[in-house]
Amino acid sequence: MSALAQRLRLGAPAALVPLGAVAVAALVGALVMLAAGVDPLRGYDAMFRGALSVSNIDFAVAGFTAILAMSLAFAIPARMGEYNLGGDGQLVAGGIAAAAVALYLPGPAVLLLPACVLAGALAGGALASVSAPLSTRAGVPVIISTLLLSTPMVALASYLVRFPLAEEGSPVPQTPRLPDAAHLPAFPGMSYTNVGLVLVLAVLLVTVYVDARTPVGYEIRVAGANRGFAAYGGLSVPRLTLGTLAAAGAVAGLAGAVIVMSQPFRFIDDALTAPGYTFAGVAAALLAGGRPALLPVTAALFTILSVGAAGMERDVDVPRQLGQVLQAVVILVLALRVLAARWMAARARRAAGGRA
Amino acid sequence: MTDGTAARSAAGAPPAAELRGITKRFGPVLAVDGVDLVLERGTVHAVVGENGAGKSTLMSVLYGLHRPDAGQVLRDGREVRLSSPLDAIAAGLGMVHQNFRLFGSLTVAENVVYRAEPARFGLVDRSAAERRVEELSARIGLDVDPTARVDTLPLGVRQRVEILKALHRQAEVLILDEPTAVLTPGEVDSLFVVVRRMAEQGTTVALVTHKVREVLEATDRVTVLRDGVVTARLTTAQTTAGEVVEAMIGRGLVPAVNPRGAVSGEPVLEVSGVRMPAAPGASRVQDVSLRVSPGEVVGIAGVSGNGQRELVEAVVGLRTAQAGTVRLRGRDLAGLGVRERRGLGIAYVPEDRPGVGTAAALSVADNLALGHHRTPPIGRRGRLSPRAVRAQAADLVRRLGVKTAGVAVPLSSLSGGNAQKVVLARELHHEAALLVVEQPTQGVDVGAGEEIHRLLLDYRARGGAVLLVSYEISELRALADRVLVMLDGAVTAELDAADATEEVLGAAMVHGGGAHAAGTTTGGGAAR
Repeated sequence: MSALAQRLRLGAPAALVPLGAVAVAALVGALVMLAAGVDPLRGYDAMFRGALSVSNIDFAVAGFTAILAMSLAFAIPARMGEYNLGGDGQLVAGGIAAAAVALYLPGPAVLLLPACVLAGALAGGALASVSAPLSTRAGVPVIISTLLLSTPMVALASYLVRFPLAEEGSPVPQTPRLPDAAHLPAFPGMSYTNVGLVLVLAVLLVTVYVDARTPVGYEIRVAGANRGFAAYGGLSVPRLTLGTLAAAGAVAGLAGAVIVMSQPFRFIDDALTAPGYTFAGVAAALLAGGRPALLPVTAALFTILSVGAAGMERDVDVPRQLGQVLQAVVILVLALRVLAARWMAARARRAAGGRA
Repeated sequence: MTDGTAARSAAGAPPAAELRGITKRFGPVLAVDGVDLVLERGTVHAVVGENGAGKSTLMSVLYGLHRPDAGQVLRDGREVRLSSPLDAIAAGLGMVHQNFRLFGSLTVAENVVYRAEPARFGLVDRSAAERRVEELSARIGLDVDPTARVDTLPLGVRQRVEILKALHRQAEVLILDEPTAVLTPGEVDSLFVVVRRMAEQGTTVALVTHKVREVLEATDRVTVLRDGVVTARLTTAQTTAGEVVEAMIGRGLVPAVNPRGAVSGEPVLEVSGVRMPAAPGASRVQDVSLRVSPGEVVGIAGVSGNGQRELVEAVVGLRTAQAGTVRLRGRDLAGLGVRERRGLGIAYVPEDRPGVGTAAALSVADNLALGHHRTPPIGRRGRLSPRAVRAQAADLVRRLGVKTAGVAVPLSSLSGGNAQKVVLARELHHEAALLVVEQPTQGVDVGAGEEIHRLLLDYRARGGAVLLVSYEISELRALADRVLVMLDGAVTAELDAADATEEVLGAAMVHGGGAHAAGTTTGGGAAR
């Protein structure tokens, strides 16, 4: 292997790569702003302020909760090389299930809160689980089945919220306001930031623990590194696929439940999917590159990009789509880096071809 | 250890080819360091060394594939500058690579004359080309049909096409790079006859190899490389296998002693009447029966692809047999998967090391933990101790002498021999009753291969039962107590180790039949 490829593979500390991707994205964003006649410094300042200023932080943390959950929903199966792109469907399934339980199963908060959260997690997990046998028995790739199952689920929820669960007389397709017993307790002085954040952080801790400190986490990593090796060692790839997808769907479903159980305490059609939590989560997980402990950092970054973009639009009149452009550039840079590494390796192999 | 008397220029005539003080580095790696090599006209000269010793680099310099950082290349006493293989061909050099460079969809004759076509009116003269192939084949005693399409030919014949190609281009110095790697024992013998005939007719042959037997059988002179420098120049007639090996690995080879212990007790593995259908890309297995007792190594011989892998898969549980039973210590394994079978006492070293036996991207420690990750000290009550993973890995690496920069580095940073030791260490650590081993020394240096053989025999001495699949007759002879030969999915011969000579095994691998020394072969598989 040539010295160049060696350096690329081993020399570059893994943590530098995501930083580089973010730097390149920031640069591209600055160019876009210059082209639009906006001072990039003012633009970025507005973006950060849009996310982190005192008046906006409450809303931003709620967005962070959702994006972190969705990054977990992608990262957990990605550990074994399966890609869950069905986050939208799982999110919506969790949200509509939690809303239905809250509306039809009245009870004290002590019972209703866990029941709603559980219903959301179960619904998301069940939807994602369908993709496991499709992959291991029928050979349909997880990345495709999760994506394709997402759209009908979103449509089904859309139907439910317009007819059986609709609030009568409302001009918008939405459920009635959930009973007070189903409102997640908010942090003092906050209205959007609530116990949901604690739940998602707990899931993150469990994920990091399982990944590094349990036999199951080890098996997931082995299956991700080499399926043939996993089968040879007696690991059940179908069971691991089912387990990781169910867990991923459950986290997404939990996020859906948390959203409907927060301000304004309704399932509103489109409200869960329009902010783009799913793909911000995918981007955050890709940026973290298989290190679950990094997810809070990358999720925070993408929260600033997506929540802050709205503030930027308001303050300096740059369209909020710039936030999405920056997310896309980060992913593009990461993808290019994989291609470049592969290309370097191929070149090194050719160069070293004649050697013993 | 160097024999200074050999390789002195004879009778004043310049050698056919000579390398003087060749040095070549790849980045930080010094591949060859000031190497001299003299190829006398009309001799067969072995260039030997372990993988990575620099022999292929040296030959690539001679063939113009690499430009040396220092040193000269001489042909017939005159210095030549070779900046590409085209220059080398023009200078009368030819090379047969390990991976043949032939056009599969063209005929033998078309391949042989490629880039040096006999032309008539500006067109390729096909019949002249075919006559040329016949003439060249007759001269060195090769039997090749010039009109056959190359992709229909077995590997051994394709190699002959490569040799003819070089001769057609008037190569006077022919480099054969590991020519026997792809050949059956019979083909190896006929290759050596051809090589000898070519040398008698004045062609100089450089034979690159790491197999000592070939050196002694087929060559006149030997140059041994280790770590990029020449460690010995020998005259074949005056040397011994021990001397060559010592120069290759820097110490004497302690041959794995193979004392046949008394085989006792109930068989550990009992396979009876196993059949497997011919799936796409797989061979069938027809009615195979065998048993392996404690303290016994049973070898499965045969050319690759005659059902050995499928038989192994039926034993370890990667695939289900269509008919027949597999018993481990008397227990029927029907319906049990890999995990259950491993739990009952089967360990397995697979042939496909990168695809099955290891995960290249995971650390050495993680590679060593598979299968041990749910049992103490690593796994305990649903928890896994990373510290115990590292400790076990450090212990195994030390005990088996795996050369690695640590247990946290990815497995892909290890050489083939050390990666294989990792696989073997993991599987031996199970202390299972049965060890199934496929091609344990494939792609492994002589030194590491010798250690692996010793580890397997130690395991047998502790009462372990080993089912060994190998395509190397010498390996089967070194390790096995009994050898079964598989041909087209059936066991066609069973021999005691003492009767399993190279000739008998080689014949049985190709033609079937052979002696039935012991009685466990069942009728269905044996009658051929």
